Amino acid sequence: MKRINIILAVFTIFTFLSCEEDFLEIPPEDSLSQTIFFQKQGDFEQAINATYAPLRDLYNIGGNNQGAWGMGELPSDNTYYRYNPSYRAVQAGESIADFYVNDGNATIENKYTINYLIIARANQILDLIDDVEFEDDSMRDNIKGQAYFLRALSYFDLVQYFGSVPLHLVPATSRNDAALPLSTSEEILAQILNDANDAVSFLPTKSNQEAGRATRGSAQMLLANVNLVQENWSGAESVLSDLLTSGEYDLLGNYANVFDLNNKNSVESIFEVQFLEGTDGFASSFMYSWLPMPLTAEQVATISGVTNSQASNNQGFNIPTPDVIESYEDNDLRKTVSIDSIDLDGRYYPYINKFWQPHSNPGLTGANWPVYRFSEALLFYAEAINEQGRPGDAEPYLNQVRNRAGLAPLNGLSQENMRQAIMNERRVELAFENKRWPDLVRTGMAQSVMSDFGTRVKANPQDYYFPDGFAPPAAAFGTIYEVFPLPASEALLNPNF
Amino acid sequence: MRTKKTLMLPFLLLLFFCIITTQAQQNITISGTITDAESGEPLPGVTVIVQGTTNGTSADFDGNYSISTSSNATLVFSYVGYGTQNISINGRTQINVNLSVDSQQLDEVVIVGYGTQTSRKVTGSVQQIDSEELADIPVPQVTQKLQGRLVGVQINQTTGKPGEGMQVRVRGQASILAGSDPLYVVDGFPIVGDISTINPDEIESISVLKDAASTSLYGSRAANGVVLITTKSGKSGQAGLSFSYYAGIQAVPQKGRPDMMNGTEFAQFRKESFEDLGQPVPEPFQNPEQYGEGYNWYDAMLRNAPMQSYNLNWNSSTEKSSVAIVAGFFNQEGVMINSDFKRYSLRANSNFKLSDNLNLGISVAPSYSIDNIPSSDGAFYATNVDAAIPGGLITNALQTWPILPFKNNDGTYPLSAWIPGISAFPTPNWVYAAQEITNETKETRVLGNLFIEYQPIDGLRLKSTLNGDMGNTSFFNFSPSNVSTTFAALPPTIATSIRRESKYVSWLNENTVNYSKSFGDHSIAVLGGISFQKFNADNSQIYLSNFPDDRIRTIQSALNIDRTRSFNNINEWSLTSFFSRLNYDYKGKYLFSASLRRDGSSRFGSNNRWGNFPSASVGWVFSDESFLEDSKFMSFGKIRASYGIIGNNNIGNYTQYALVDNSLNAVFGNSIASGAAITTFGNSNLGWERTKQMDIGLDLRLFNDRVEFIYDYYKKNTTDLLFNVSVPQESGFEDFNDNVGELEFWGHEFALISRNVANDNFTWTSNFNIAFNRNKVVSLAEGVDRIFSGGAYGSITRPGEPLGQFWGLIHDGVYDNQQEFDSSPKAVESEVGTIKFVDTNGDGVITNGTENDDRTVIGNPFPDYIFGLTNDFRYKNWDASIVISGSIGNDIAVTNDQGTTNLDGPFNVLREIEDRWRSPENPGSGRYGKTTSATFMERDWFSSRFIEDGSYLTVKNITLGYSLPLNKKSFLKAARLYGSVQQAFVFTGYRGANPEISTTTQGEQATALALGFDWGAYPVPRTFTFGFNLTF
Repeated sequence: MKRINIILAVFTIFTFLSCEEDFLEIPPEDSLSQTIFFQKQGDFEQAINATYAPLRDLYNIGGNNQGAWGMGELPSDNTYYRYNPSYRAVQAGESIADFYVNDGNATIENKYTINYLIIARANQILDLIDDVEFEDDSMRDNIKGQAYFLRALSYFDLVQYFGSVPLHLVPATSRNDAALPLSTSEEILAQILNDANDAVSFLPTKSNQEAGRATRGSAQMLLANVNLVQENWSGAESVLSDLLTSGEYDLLGNYANVFDLNNKNSVESIFEVQFLEGTDGFASSFMYSWLPMPLTAEQVATISGVTNSQASNNQGFNIPTPDVIESYEDNDLRKTVSIDSIDLDGRYYPYINKFWQPHSNPGLTGANWPVYRFSEALLFYAEAINEQGRPGDAEPYLNQVRNRAGLAPLNGLSQENMRQAIMNERRVELAFENKRWPDLVRTGMAQSVMSDFGTRVKANPQDYYFPDGFAPPAAAFGTIYEVFPLPASEALLNPNF
Repeated sequence: MRTKKTLMLPFLLLLFFCIITTQAQQNITISGTITDAESGEPLPGVTVIVQGTTNGTSADFDGNYSISTSSNATLVFSYVGYGTQNISINGRTQINVNLSVDSQQLDEVVIVGYGTQTSRKVTGSVQQIDSEELADIPVPQVTQKLQGRLVGVQINQTTGKPGEGMQVRVRGQASILAGSDPLYVVDGFPIVGDISTINPDEIESISVLKDAASTSLYGSRAANGVVLITTKSGKSGQAGLSFSYYAGIQAVPQKGRPDMMNGTEFAQFRKESFEDLGQPVPEPFQNPEQYGEGYNWYDAMLRNAPMQSYNLNWNSSTEKSSVAIVAGFFNQEGVMINSDFKRYSLRANSNFKLSDNLNLGISVAPSYSIDNIPSSDGAFYATNVDAAIPGGLITNALQTWPILPFKNNDGTYPLSAWIPGISAFPTPNWVYAAQEITNETKETRVLGNLFIEYQPIDGLRLKSTLNGDMGNTSFFNFSPSNVSTTFAALPPTIATSIRRESKYVSWLNENTVNYSKSFGDHSIAVLGGISFQKFNADNSQIYLSNFPDDRIRTIQSALNIDRTRSFNNINEWSLTSFFSRLNYDYKGKYLFSASLRRDGSSRFGSNNRWGNFPSASVGWVFSDESFLEDSKFMSFGKIRASYGIIGNNNIGNYTQYALVDNSLNAVFGNSIASGAAITTFGNSNLGWERTKQMDIGLDLRLFNDRVEFIYDYYKKNTTDLLFNVSVPQESGFEDFNDNVGELEFWGHEFALISRNVANDNFTWTSNFNIAFNRNKVVSLAEGVDRIFSGGAYGSITRPGEPLGQFWGLIHDGVYDNQQEFDSSPKAVESEVGTIKFVDTNGDGVITNGTENDDRTVIGNPFPDYIFGLTNDFRYKNWDASIVISGSIGNDIAVTNDQGTTNLDGPFNVLREIEDRWRSPENPGSGRYGKTTSATFMERDWFSSRFIEDGSYLTVKNITLGYSLPLNKKSFLKAARLYGSVQQAFVFTGYRGANPEISTTTQGEQATALALGFDWGAYPVPRTFTFGFNLTF
């Protein structure tokens, strides 16, 4: 019986050892799970940081699946592409520039999904932040303000490019609440105004905020932009007046300095997307997609200033058009800062120059993306005043911008002439900052301007960088649309579309 | 937890009960000689088993056996080809037996889940292959030996990479996300991963369990089928040493190598493209003749390569113990340059009889393998995402311009192969790259097993086992600065290196009670058990770059560590199970079996932690009925039927949790701030996939056992499929993991074994099997009417259709002339001379990539049927075998054509592109359009032009052997010499080399929803082998 007892003991020991309560409870060890997150102030600090993170992709994505520039600048008359007959995997980008885009386009999908990623992360924070004890209640307000701002900024991006979209204000918790019906653009804009106003009240001023984060000024600028889109000129005037008199902002002395890496988040900056040079995954590279490719390694090095540059046989996008070059007045100091050109086998190709700043590794730059700058605040203000029938009052603000560019002041313009002057000033001052296309749309000029542009491109394809014997497809510039189709990938999944 | 305890109570009570009622039994040793009833010659190797137990032995060379058991037990004597005899001991110590060739030979012992059964009593669908049947084939992978032999099991060698496992699918089982590989059980231990590291020489037998009745004891892991591997153990009477060796030479056959343009042809093709464009022809293409044949880059990547295998077997057995040791060394150079594989393996299985009723077994099997294989497989732009290693070397070399050299006349290697300003992409020298990079995996694995078995009374056995599986894989990749392995990136590059360490431990404790008893005509066998298994894996990777000197490759010498590609992750799961089975038969002709397993797993959501997996089966040996007993025609006949529910628990270890990603960092000014957000939905209801399977089978032996016929029909319904149901990204999430949908599988399996000739000097046996496997999607998730897989060159899965159908446009030639162009539907970019497609939606225009475009089902990757045919011959001392396997009716999408038919000219192309459209007067074959515009439609729009019939018949192996006539008493007891050809002939209309191919763009094994794509892979060589086996 002794042996039997030993065997019995072995059996039962194994049995009971393994029967501990937690044998079948194995939560992940290498990542947090929801059950233990959003419990303390530090969690929300991390959560708001994660809400900013997608902005890098939104503005930086390059190649043929493009970031914000693919919809903010490329459809406009400011830029085009350099057709490369030996690199043809570029239909997505060309179809945007040539107005035959379809809903399967990756650039459109990027814009849509990345904005909703920001919205979802902001919603997670706003849903739970008031239930948690904070060590520092001013930090709670600060985080809420940033979340409201980022949510408003993303919805504004969506409503400008797509019109009606679904309105998510609380986090989705399962499959059932993932798809919502479309809200009208009026409903979306109303929510943006609410959020932007909340952001203005919760956010600290720039001097009291960590550099690079949203500030009260950022929220005011967004609010002004929404008011201008809604043609609420007095509303825009009032909020901009607060911003202009806050003492937090001014123009830098020299246009080129605005893009200098030493002046990131400068006194002129109202909100910019933050990048960091290096291999850690925070660098920007958007300007590499704008090289007038194909280029040899030496040619790339000439432009990028990086000695170990790689040859690039892709197709260059966002190539400045003859039209935008023409729109600079003589002696405008900004022209050579913004645009340069390179001699390729006896032919000069222009390229966007102002974002090229020194960096050491190819494709890994530290350049930030300017979303809102003080010069735009001045031009917004001038526009808001002019539209209320006071062109004379608008003059000093317009001329402040012109003055820095080395241009003579404009005086005594009619309201209509002032309107045109402001628009052209916006075109050159904010060139290649994703302002041109939304400006054309909100001022109702998109149809006529882009039809004319299309006619010019088709008449003289070689002026628009087509090699001899090549031209845009017949379908190009057929219908000029003002909003983009909702992505097919989403339409498949949302029964409400 | 309450459930668990109450459930366990009966088991414990049963244990107590069994032990308390123990009565000491008198054990005696019985011995004797077994002879052939006809000739009187001793019969070596006859199996002797104590009825109702696994206690057994086998007769030695002289037919002598010896076994200890209780004095009133019954001994079962069985031998292949001979009738089994059951003899009651009745206190005797000497029992001599005469066995005669008889119809009762079906009573071979078959390994089934948690035990053995005589084959006549098996009511499930089980196929067993013994090592003798496989010994002939000199290949490094067990699965290679099984190709063509298993009915209803499709085994595909998707790549020729040395040491790589194969794709095994039992009865066409597939899952959307939860994997389709069968469960491998080695000596009772369900291991993690596959059996590619196991030396085939260690294996005694392989049983494949196919239906629910035979697999349901493996519960939540059984749905993909179960493969039971039994390793060699010491056999009494066969003590001795044996040694086997083979050496082979592998070569890639000329047939199946892609038919690419040579130097002159390529330059001519490019010259014509410029002429057609009306542009000046660049200097390099002006005189095509200057290049002659040019450079064959594909051939330059390949070589003829040797391989050797050494195996040493030691076997000893005494009254008290038995030991079997297998030591092996396998060394293979690959047919692609700079690739090789080595495996060192050892297995020691020992068994100790501590007393008459107490057995102890210990086995340990360490193995160590090293391979160095450049990332050969996948599309030209392949990169392994995790590791960021560029792949597709084979495809890249294939596409390189043949007018450019891979080797200079002075024997040095150029660093690149492109013409700046003329080539579209900077192209590194792939041949040089393949030689210079290191891509090495070192894998150590130790399988261990310890068991103690106690037999308190006759028929009752208590067994407790402790199993361990430990592995450590070190991966090292170094890409020096003087080469580039990246598409469109030229050397010099920044040297990069990846080091990855993966460790895992899996342990299992299993405790079983077996009781078997006969009462007159009734016999029962009962099994009960409890098991606990836990798995823990820890993987780390560090990605380094910028090495000052390519010769110093240490971590500390790298200037950069790329944090985004460096990681550490931990994976754990646990499983608690209760299981039981009852077997009952009446007179051995009415058979019944039922089993139940209950699994609790850490992977299942907290609301759904336990699953039940029952099964039942019946059998009727109708040939034992009086009306057939004397049949001359039929010697054996049995009808089987089974039904059961089994599961697939490969749903991911943490899928049920809403995970927080804490690497979502942000930049503010010049500093990085850590960020975190919830990035997945949680689902506490998440559970296993459930498969209900029904099987009806018929086993027949006819004409005095000359012909054996087996038929099975099965039908399976898999529900609760793990699926990451896509949700609109407006929610901030991409998908929701849920158990949804239903798949249906059904099929017919036939096996025919015919002993065509069987006499003293000459035997010829044929074994033919054929299986018709079908699948159909019944439903997907609510609101999901289709799943796209595989990207732009993709497959579609829709209810009412089979899984993963190729989804693209129908190629309809080329718009030959203006008239045809004007009268046909066209795409926005179409022109005269561009590719033409069928307007399937009838809207008058050709569209691709939108929701209601012209794409349709253009092919099916699943075969109509698969088959195998084995013929074994023996003439005096000569033996020969030929193994054939085949597949009929499956399509292959040759997506590698994306590069090799690119009309823009960035790559070398297929020779047939010479015959393309150039003008209405010169329209070519109609397969390829003009080079001058809208070429992207031809290349980037997936169409039926990419689809080919993948049917094949492959002569997998031919072996011819000769056994030296030796006296069994001499020092050298047996010796056999043989020669063999593996992958001897591939008969196929498919133009590629390997019709078994199926890869992803990344060169990885394809998922069930995107099968049948040929993105380029390491070729499968033909191997000529010579070897010998010596027994001392």
